[in-house]
Amino acid sequence: MTKIETLEKIKCYHCGDDCRESDISIDNKYFCCSGCRFVYELFRGNKLDGYYRLNANPGVNRRVGARSDRFACLEDRDIARKLVDFADDKINRVTFHIPGIHCSSCVWLLENLNRLHPGIPLSRVNYMRKEVSLTFIPEQISLREVVELLSSVGYDPEINLRNLERKTVGMPKDRLYTRLTVAGFCFANIMLFSFPEYFDAAQIAPKFRNFFGFLKVALALPVFFYSSAVFFKSAYHGLRQRIVNMDVPISLGILMLFARSFYELFSATGIGYMDSFTGLVFFLLIGRVFQKKTYQRLSFDRDYKSYFPISVNRKEGNTEIPVAVNRLGIGDRIIIRNKELVPADSVLLEGNGQFDYSFVTGESQPLEKKPGDIIYAGGRIAGKAVELEVIKKVSESYLVELWGDNIFNRTERTGIESLSNTISKYFTVAVITLSIATAVYWYFVDPSVAANAATAVLIIACPCALALSTPFTLGTATRILGRNGFFLRNSRIVESLAGINSIVFDKTGTLTRTGESKIKFIGVDLSARQRAIVKSITGQSSHPLSRKISRLFSDDPVANIESFEEFPGLGLSGVIDDSTVKIGSAEWIGLTNSEQQSSDNFKTRVYCSVNDNILGYFSFTNVYRDGLESLINSLRSKFRLYLLSGDNDGERENMKRLFGDDSRMLFNQSPHDKLEFVKQLQSGGDRVAMLGDGLNDAGSLKQSDIGIAVTVDTSSFSPASDAILDSNSLHVFDKLVLLSIKCLRVIKISFGISFLYNIIGLSFAVSGTISPLLCAVLMPLSSVSVVLFTTLTIAFLARRLELY
Amino acid sequence: MTIETVNYDNRIVRSFGIATLVWGSVGMLVGVVIAIQMFFPALNLGLAFTTFGRLRPLHTNAVIFAFVGNAIFMSVYHSLPRLCKAEMFNKALSKFHFWGWQAIIVAATLTLVTGITTGKEYAELEWPIDILIAVVWLAFGANMFGTIFKRREQHMYVAVWFYIATFITVTILHVVNSIELPVSFLKSYPVYAGVQDALVQWWYGHNAVAFFLTTPYLGMMYYYLPKAANRPVFSYRLSIVHFWALIFIYIWAGPHHLLYSAIPDWVQSLGTVFSIMLIAPSWGGMLNGLLTLRGAWDKVRTSHVLKFMVVAITAYGMATFEGPMLALKNVNALSHFTDWTIAHTHVGALGWNGFLTFGILYWLIPRLYGTKLYSDKMANAHFWIGFLGILIYVIPMYFAGIIEGLMWKEFTPDGFLRYPNFLETVLQVIPMYIIRAVGGTLFLIGMLLMTFNLFKTIRLGSLIAEEKVEVPALENNREEIYNRRNFHRWIERRPVKFILAATVAVLIGGIVEMVPTFLIKSNIPTISSVKPYTPLELQGRDIYIAEGCYNCHSQMIRPFRSETERYGEYSKAGEYVYDHPFQWGSKRTGPDLMRVGGKYPDAWHYGHMIDPPSMSPGSIMPPYPWLANNELDIGSTPAKINAMRKLGVPYPEGYENIAIEDLNSQARQIVGILGEAGIEIKTDRQIIALIAYLQRMGTDIKVQREGGAR
Amino acid sequence: MEVIFVLIGFSLLLAVGFLAAFFWAVRDGQFDDTHTPSMRVLFDDTPENNIDK
Repeated sequence: MTKIETLEKIKCYHCGDDCRESDISIDNKYFCCSGCRFVYELFRGNKLDGYYRLNANPGVNRRVGARSDRFACLEDRDIARKLVDFADDKINRVTFHIPGIHCSSCVWLLENLNRLHPGIPLSRVNYMRKEVSLTFIPEQISLREVVELLSSVGYDPEINLRNLERKTVGMPKDRLYTRLTVAGFCFANIMLFSFPEYFDAAQIAPKFRNFFGFLKVALALPVFFYSSAVFFKSAYHGLRQRIVNMDVPISLGILMLFARSFYELFSATGIGYMDSFTGLVFFLLIGRVFQKKTYQRLSFDRDYKSYFPISVNRKEGNTEIPVAVNRLGIGDRIIIRNKELVPADSVLLEGNGQFDYSFVTGESQPLEKKPGDIIYAGGRIAGKAVELEVIKKVSESYLVELWGDNIFNRTERTGIESLSNTISKYFTVAVITLSIATAVYWYFVDPSVAANAATAVLIIACPCALALSTPFTLGTATRILGRNGFFLRNSRIVESLAGINSIVFDKTGTLTRTGESKIKFIGVDLSARQRAIVKSITGQSSHPLSRKISRLFSDDPVANIESFEEFPGLGLSGVIDDSTVKIGSAEWIGLTNSEQQSSDNFKTRVYCSVNDNILGYFSFTNVYRDGLESLINSLRSKFRLYLLSGDNDGERENMKRLFGDDSRMLFNQSPHDKLEFVKQLQSGGDRVAMLGDGLNDAGSLKQSDIGIAVTVDTSSFSPASDAILDSNSLHVFDKLVLLSIKCLRVIKISFGISFLYNIIGLSFAVSGTISPLLCAVLMPLSSVSVVLFTTLTIAFLARRLELY
Repeated sequence: MTIETVNYDNRIVRSFGIATLVWGSVGMLVGVVIAIQMFFPALNLGLAFTTFGRLRPLHTNAVIFAFVGNAIFMSVYHSLPRLCKAEMFNKALSKFHFWGWQAIIVAATLTLVTGITTGKEYAELEWPIDILIAVVWLAFGANMFGTIFKRREQHMYVAVWFYIATFITVTILHVVNSIELPVSFLKSYPVYAGVQDALVQWWYGHNAVAFFLTTPYLGMMYYYLPKAANRPVFSYRLSIVHFWALIFIYIWAGPHHLLYSAIPDWVQSLGTVFSIMLIAPSWGGMLNGLLTLRGAWDKVRTSHVLKFMVVAITAYGMATFEGPMLALKNVNALSHFTDWTIAHTHVGALGWNGFLTFGILYWLIPRLYGTKLYSDKMANAHFWIGFLGILIYVIPMYFAGIIEGLMWKEFTPDGFLRYPNFLETVLQVIPMYIIRAVGGTLFLIGMLLMTFNLFKTIRLGSLIAEEKVEVPALENNREEIYNRRNFHRWIERRPVKFILAATVAVLIGGIVEMVPTFLIKSNIPTISSVKPYTPLELQGRDIYIAEGCYNCHSQMIRPFRSETERYGEYSKAGEYVYDHPFQWGSKRTGPDLMRVGGKYPDAWHYGHMIDPPSMSPGSIMPPYPWLANNELDIGSTPAKINAMRKLGVPYPEGYENIAIEDLNSQARQIVGILGEAGIEIKTDRQIIALIAYLQRMGTDIKVQREGGAR
Repeated sequence: MEVIFVLIGFSLLLAVGFLAAFFWAVRDGQFDDTHTPSMRVLFDDTPENNIDK
């Protein structure tokens, strides 16, 4: 006991974990495991101990030994060929994503690999992307050896299906940044040539004024033809689909600004608005860039490929050979080992297994599977190796299908049409009519002004601020939501979210805390010794339930075990000073079904017997997430709430307390029932948001207007959802919804403001008295102020809601 | 694909480091001397060489080009090879660069104290030295780019860019501003005249500050601060933005030095606008520096290196905020020509350049000699003494500046100047000058402490002449790695592009900056009555330049009532058309001399030169007795006339032949007038010429008036 | 006087060149990784990096 205490104080020199055993040490540095010590010796031997000098215990724990043939598949020629970025006879270049990179030591080590192996002369790390791209010499070291070297020093490269296809990251190259820079540059220089005009035009000899004029035109041309093309294009596309989007009036304004300035400068009738024109484009493009950034942050580029291995071991006769998963055929027999992932839907042939779908659902509690069960792709096996028979190709398995259903472009499906578009429709019409009206009016009053006034209207009305407010508001909002563990698939979801009127909850794993559960022991009250026995037996097993039980008795002493065995799917058995202990399922300790049929059965139970007399069972009951009550209460006032649960109605009473009305709680619901229920709501005209888990509720999540997958670990991917909610921030869900609603209001207000600017400007325009200087001031003023307004207000609101 | 061994040469770093220490001490010592002379002129010991007008240029040149210059080279020669993973391009070049630069400094010292100067602030050195500077500077450039070409690190760290920008810009600044027409081996006239000369000069002056005192130091900050703190810079992205923004904007801001002067308003406004814009990148840089230390302030408390750097960066922030403020017209109206400017420059010089240099030296020297610093206590003492020194220097100067500004502008209720006698305003600030001298002395003491400390440190250790490092060769596998086609075409390679880039950035700024000077030609109302100087006046003007009168006397009456009341008609661009170089000055320790002509009798000037207090009691102007003894080099007259004609001054053809006669006759007149006042003196004395020039100053317009009256 | 036209035209030509150079630097990937370089600086003379001792 005390010995352990003292040892816990010693941190592994390599990885910083606690050293359990005292004997693993070298030149009086202690290590948690021989793996760590090995790495240390390796580094010290290769003048790499600077690794430890840059940061204290920077290493990655090496306790879990990796299977030797883990990377055998890399021998496979065309897998290798697909992995490397560049190869010729002399050198190969390959880029790996290494999640383990976490500090400057890592960077330094990985960039000095050549000291570990001369065959890797050059390696460069990109810290932000956690990537290392290294050049190696095939004669001296093979790809597999490279990877194994990396993994041996604790930097396991992430090698999965994704690596196999050429990654084309990001979105279509619209060269937004280039356009922006061009615009900015020309803007600055045109301003430069405009200053003289504004400061004291008198002093400038006319020939210089003309010269400056030509320069302005020259600088404006690229902006017009290159930078602002973005808006023309999108306006054009919009119109072709009969949508008058924001870019239509913008393009009009831009066009007018340029045309008129062009005319003025060449007819030498004025100094033109080139500075305003370029400035306008510049600001608009900033908005675009911001939009793009937001989008990139949102778009989950993770799909199933990032989780699937590139190869599995196929059983041929009684030998196993690694084969690329995308070449798996129906009927192939594959061997999956502990912690490995089932790549294709298949049937379990041999051995029971615990399959954990946490990377899909975040649900860490493994599912029990028996021979003959169908195992969906994506299950990760815990425990003994199993043999499976593939029944579907990887590309056709359930998960992939789900994913394939491209719910990305379901943006149109959301009931709410993007607000700005609606506005811009009327806006455009209004502006055009106004300008015509102005033209007509002046035509009769003073024809000379007519053209000027009409164009001025179009120029001033150009809804720069209008266009900027939406992306900036939504962008800021989504960033804040993200910071609170609420990740949207695209920023338009904010709008949709504001529109919902009923929320459907899935119970298990959503309202209840996955994995965690209350344990109570029912039966004889255990003596200290019995507790010790149970603790030591369960302590041997890695099964989540066992771990929970042994944790229950954490402060009891450990008994010494003579023998121990774990039977996956059944339970544990062990011998402690010649009394046989069995812990596990009812049938495991030999209970007949009749005996165990009792009241609250559906709850998980773990029985426990010593020398075949049953002491009793541990019962595990779900625990609800914190703040659930307050959450439901606050939501109830604004939305119709429903509860759908796959479980029995054991929890009905508790639920009733929360949801009040019975009619809103449905139990023993199959995924299909849930889907139907959502459909039915929608047919009743409801806008439904559903919170559920990504796999089991996939259908209903897809069906609902907004499907929100609640997961323990947000990095898990949920095909069907529009949004992912970190289960830990479920309790602030109401606030998140509130923010989205407020967000829409902010946009409307900002529209109001920019309209105000337009009206001010228009009053000048209509009266035909608009000066370039006024334009040059008003345009940036409106844009900047609106942007500031929206972003600051959102930030402020978030603060008031205590969201950060 | 090979691993190569690189030898970093530390000797050259050491040499520049020691030069920094030596010249720094000298330059600051001179600074203290002239600071004392400002209230105790007699400190010049009655010698021409040690008179304020000659020592002040020596001070500025020594601290800027000797102290800061050597510090820059030290840092570049240390950090560049390490950033490029390659030795300096050529050891011989390095040596040449080092000795060449020291030679320049020595030459500068000798010429400046003997009154050989072009009379353009911060560019006083005469043409032969200018050429030498160009050669050595180019050698430095060659060495730097050579290194960058054969670097083994594909990415160029931001510091490298700052270095490159420095080189490119300074080259162009130096060349453009030093275009001058030699008259003799040690005398030349700048090709630009008056207003144009002023624009070029201040475009240079401003950017000398920007690209000699700022960009290289930012580069140094971005390298040594992370090193000293052992943590990466706060935001590398920001540092890149910082660089581009700075290089683009800085170059345009020149004209703010000439607010309310005789250049077109819109050029002035341009300067102001860009100066304001400068705050953004400057503060970006400062914050980036300070935030690098976030979470490491405990280190700052213990490490003297970081202490120095923090103060330096803060000073940078203050100076770069104050600068734009001073560029605001209404602020400038008050601050210009006063000691405020001096305070501003010294916040930058002592705080930013001084302290950053100190920090780097304390970090670097022990490493070069593989030992610990001789005495941390002493370093700590240095920090506090120096810090105190800065405060005691700067604060009184701000006071002095504001007092001067206000007193010059103050009117009595019935509309007269409250202090019509300029001297009153000077006497007011003399106490400040005394305190300032104390502050300066403290700073110097700190400098000497460090010098001692570091020499001791050098004694302790032994120079690690070469540091060996293993680096994979980048050159011979570039193609394979980046799969570049035709990478052989050397023009494809990054550095070249970057040189072009930086050059362009600077040129744009420069050229557009210059445009107004040409514009002006058209705008200058050529004043018919403004005539070229007579030979004697021309000679007198050259003496005025040689004695460095412009260091204390301006020749630019700004269009304020307070100034026209005091000095007369405000200056017109057209009056300067024959001034090669312009002598507007930047500081009024004495009154403006634009219209001093005819204000006093010749005898007054004579007496005033021999012994100023005798004419204006309490004057802190040093006496110039030697002017009455030294013979005027009349022989040079024809050459000067010719040179001036080449530069467009309309002396009739062949005038040079009769110039000397004209000169003598005018001299005889003056001698005659002096004689009437009972002053016996030969016609060929320098003072005669000077009097002639002084009496001519600003009179042309009056002539025109009288003409009109008739 | 006409010299100005030449000057400005020239300067702008250069300006565009500069712009191009800037894009080139971007496309070349100088700014692809805007973090690791700042860490790398700290290594360039870590004593372990030296061969001797």
